[in-house]
Amino acid sequence: MFQPIMDQILSLARDAWAFMAGLLIVVALLGGMYYILQGTAGAAFGGSRMTSMAIIGVVGLVIIVLFAFLFLPQIGELLKNFQPQPPF
Amino acid sequence: MNETTSILLTFLREAWTALAGVLLALTLLAGLAQVLRTSSAGALGSSRWVGEALSALLSLLALGLFAFLGIPQIVGALQSALPNGSGCGPIGELGTFASQMIGGLAALRMLKAVLTSVLSTTLGAPASLAGALTESAEALFGMLLAAAAIPLTARFLGAC
Repeated sequence: MFQPIMDQILSLARDAWAFMAGLLIVVALLGGMYYILQGTAGAAFGGSRMTSMAIIGVVGLVIIVLFAFLFLPQIGELLKNFQPQPPF
Repeated sequence: MNETTSILLTFLREAWTALAGVLLALTLLAGLAQVLRTSSAGALGSSRWVGEALSALLSLLALGLFAFLGIPQIVGALQSALPNGSGCGPIGELGTFASQMIGGLAALRMLKAVLTSVLSTTLGAPASLAGALTESAEALFGMLLAAAAIPLTARFLGAC
């Protein structure tokens, strides 16, 4: 009875997932470019703290993106396996 | 009465399956949105925003696990406490019908409350989150009250 509505909602959710994944890649690339610029400028001016902060920032961004693309689908699979049958 | 109960329970079961699917999809989307928020906050250097997004992500995970592991157990435990099939005649049938409907509706209400909680966590609305959790507690309290009220009503109406 609810299957057609579910199909519509899931189709919308899939589109939203693809959109947000693309947006995440764009934001992460822009953030990475910014940190690389910061690191280069820091290295050119001899600002070691600036450079190290930029390197840490790039590593943090990579970790966040890996978390999104590797960990979140696994969490989804886990929750899908836990999806309960009606308890009544 | 049995056929009516069966039809209504089938309807409620389908609604449960649909709500669980929507909850799963929304939880994952909200998780991705929080990761996006974390990465943009990291790029901007806003540590407070990163902390908020990470705590929201953990809350979403906890809510999802509560919905899929906690609610069925709670509903199963409370439904076993409801008097089912005591007495005979129309009052007994009515009691069975009522206990099954109360169980099904309470389970659906709790799942809906978790869905609202997930939406509130995503939007950062603590008032709505508190309201949804209160609704969940109300459903529990209603089931407990029904467990006490059904046998008393049956005795008052003179069930055998």
